Amino acid sequence: MTTVEYQVSSRPVPNPAKSLITKLHMGTGMVVGAIFAFGTYFWLRSGEDMTVAHNVNRVLLISMFMWSFGFLIGIGAFIGPFRWLIGKDLTDEEQLFLAGDGQGVSRYFRYCTDHKVVGIQYLVGVMVMLGAGGTLAMMIRTNLLSPGSKFVTPVIYNSLVGLHGITMIVAMIVVSTGPFGNFILPIMIGARDMAFPRLNALSWWVLFTAIPVLCSAWFLGGIPTGWTAYAPLSVQAGPGMNAFIATIIIFAISTAVAGANITATVVTMRAKGMKWNRVPIFVVGATMSVALAIPAFPTFMVSMIMTALDRTVNTTFFDANFGGSGWLYAHLFWIMGHPEVYVILIPGVAILMEIVPVFVRKPLFSYNAAILGFAGISGLSGLVWAHHMYMSGWLPLLNGPFMITTEMISVPTGLIFLVILGTLWRGKPWMKLPMLSVYAFLWNMLIGGITGVYLSDVPADNYLHGSMYVTAHFHYTLMGAALTGAIAGLAYWFPKMTGRMLHEKAGYTAFWFTQIGFQILFLGMFIAGAEGQPRRVADYAHTYATSDRISTIGAYLIGIGMITLLWAVIHSWRKGDVAPQNPWGAKTLEWTVPFPVPLENFDELPVITSDPYGYGRSEK
Amino acid sequence: MSADTQFHVHHDSPEVRGRRERLGVRLLIVADGAFVFGLIFSYFYLRNLDANGGWLPKGAHYMSALSGWWTAVPLAIAALAHRTGERRRDSFKALSIITLVALLAGAYYQWHQLAHMPFIVKDTGGFEGAYASMWVLIAGANMFHYLLGSFIALGLVLRNGRAKVDAVLETWRLRTAGSWFTWIAISGVACAITTSFIH
Ligand SMILES: [Cu+2]
Repeated sequence: MTTVEYQVSSRPVPNPAKSLITKLHMGTGMVVGAIFAFGTYFWLRSGEDMTVAHNVNRVLLISMFMWSFGFLIGIGAFIGPFRWLIGKDLTDEEQLFLAGDGQGVSRYFRYCTDHKVVGIQYLVGVMVMLGAGGTLAMMIRTNLLSPGSKFVTPVIYNSLVGLHGITMIVAMIVVSTGPFGNFILPIMIGARDMAFPRLNALSWWVLFTAIPVLCSAWFLGGIPTGWTAYAPLSVQAGPGMNAFIATIIIFAISTAVAGANITATVVTMRAKGMKWNRVPIFVVGATMSVALAIPAFPTFMVSMIMTALDRTVNTTFFDANFGGSGWLYAHLFWIMGHPEVYVILIPGVAILMEIVPVFVRKPLFSYNAAILGFAGISGLSGLVWAHHMYMSGWLPLLNGPFMITTEMISVPTGLIFLVILGTLWRGKPWMKLPMLSVYAFLWNMLIGGITGVYLSDVPADNYLHGSMYVTAHFHYTLMGAALTGAIAGLAYWFPKMTGRMLHEKAGYTAFWFTQIGFQILFLGMFIAGAEGQPRRVADYAHTYATSDRISTIGAYLIGIGMITLLWAVIHSWRKGDVAPQNPWGAKTLEWTVPFPVPLENFDELPVITSDPYGYGRSEK
Repeated sequence: MSADTQFHVHHDSPEVRGRRERLGVRLLIVADGAFVFGLIFSYFYLRNLDANGGWLPKGAHYMSALSGWWTAVPLAIAALAHRTGERRRDSFKALSIITLVALLAGAYYQWHQLAHMPFIVKDTGGFEGAYASMWVLIAGANMFHYLLGSFIALGLVLRNGRAKVDAVLETWRLRTAGSWFTWIAISGVACAITTSFIH
């Protein structure tokens, strides 16, 4: 791969050109978006009989997409494509302006192409989403504090569960590859920016437009379906469902764009000498995650477009009276849904693999096994989807084969454990904040993984499906493993992203409250689930009262932990201890650049002569 | 960066940038391919399931098996014209106009098909069954391909000789656009084959 570069221009820093680009920002985006949305809404509404559900759905859906479209026009997302169209490509000055050159804080509110700005935008966005999803979780657990609780009505409870689910899934899909995949990854491979800086800005701002859309579900009567939005329930659901559908479609566009961008960056922009076996493991994991999302997520989009058409123009994709089938929905959903779990998990694990060598000062144990583990998981994840449909009545003959493919995933997962344990073996860990998460991950993923084996087993699933046991299982994997990894990444890269150290004591406090609360919450939930408590139900029998009360106490402990973490982040960001350039003594490239990281990261592009984990070997 | 220093805008070589852009577009084609795969999968799934005998419309109103092929032909012509233009750059101008016209004509024809679907239920405005539902969705996906393809083709026509870009980079961009045109032609044919299986 050639990385020949040459400079085309060298001139004084230009004044921002008198181009339209300089006048647009998030505010203009919101204004144009609102005009488009409300304009469309009132215009379409006037010609429709708004007592008919189909018409309401149609008007709302179109208005939501117009919001997104209008916002992107208003923030200037289409200036680049339009200028390309008419043959007047953006000038270097304009590109420099888009990169946020010399704009201070205001660049965070613009269509900024600097990957570091996009990384921070993702970080803040993800924290907002996790905060919202977490608040919903607290409300769910409060309602489940005791049987017969009247904290919220059953209808609202359904919405809480569905919105908590989808908010967290969306947040978790981008929690690692968004902030760290954008901010850190290009520096880690020795690149000046992402492959497609404008697409980078696009992926963030498209995702941003989904947030108000999803919030609007709450004001449109909520969603009754849980995050899986099974048909035909989703087809019959009230107007809030439109918000769910629009969110998923918008989000799928964002992930496709981000996935192509990150993958192309890693494939084509690695520093000279960074052969594939010298790529830091986080980069490998993040790339595999987004590359897996590229083919996996569009089927979810297909299922949502079908749901939208069934709801708006009387198609019958999921109506068995007219040749449709609910199974079709389940297939399309889970063909995306299972790979998605690994889209979430792999980058979180990869962050931990990045961290362990640094804090035990040993090379990563069997880099190849780690790659094989990720690749095995990614490959198999496309062949297991029907384990979510064992009890649906669809081809019971295939339950056995799907059980086998699912259980085979334990093998590459085992490799991942092996790599982390092997790196820890006989090491002397430097027990800083990021390192704590490694141990939490090993414990949580072990429980999440093994309970997954039980659930993949058809006879056991016959009993356990649809119970709180399932809920506890996937929280152990997604929260206990993937979110724990992401929080480790935050503690680890916080100095590079903000120039300050994350408050150590508050970080420890947050860690212990969260992890202990987590075990209490979900071990209680495993018991309730194994005893038969159904998931997604607002009330429960007295039998489960003790387990549920224990779970709710655990949830509150997590709440305390997360608020502490939030405090630590905000406090440290504003006035934490100023971080040295390489506080952990790590060997990857992101620690060779100063803070604030210069616009194009490196003055001279680095040349790589060894793998990134050469701890304990003689320095060059 | 302080205002009094020189700032260098770095660009990789046109060769490197061109390859990179093509890879990006090919990755997006993978995503679009998964989307089209989802449609074809769904078509055959519902057709073979024929739940409650509801696959075909009751009054036997359905599109002809050739309908998909008629919309695939302009896509194929566009791809062929563009691909030829890539190799014969002196006649690219004329060929790029052919590409654009083929795509616009195809888009019009696709719209015409959508406007005259035979299986709309008169009183509800709904679709008669799963076949009709699948057909309209596949036609919609084709329409999306036509519109995005037309945008790119229009750009290539307008830019030709106008845009001040490196010749090497522009050559790569033609190849990248060619990847898209080829893909939508393949997709059009795949959808045409799919909608040929009616009963
Ligand atoms: Cu699964």
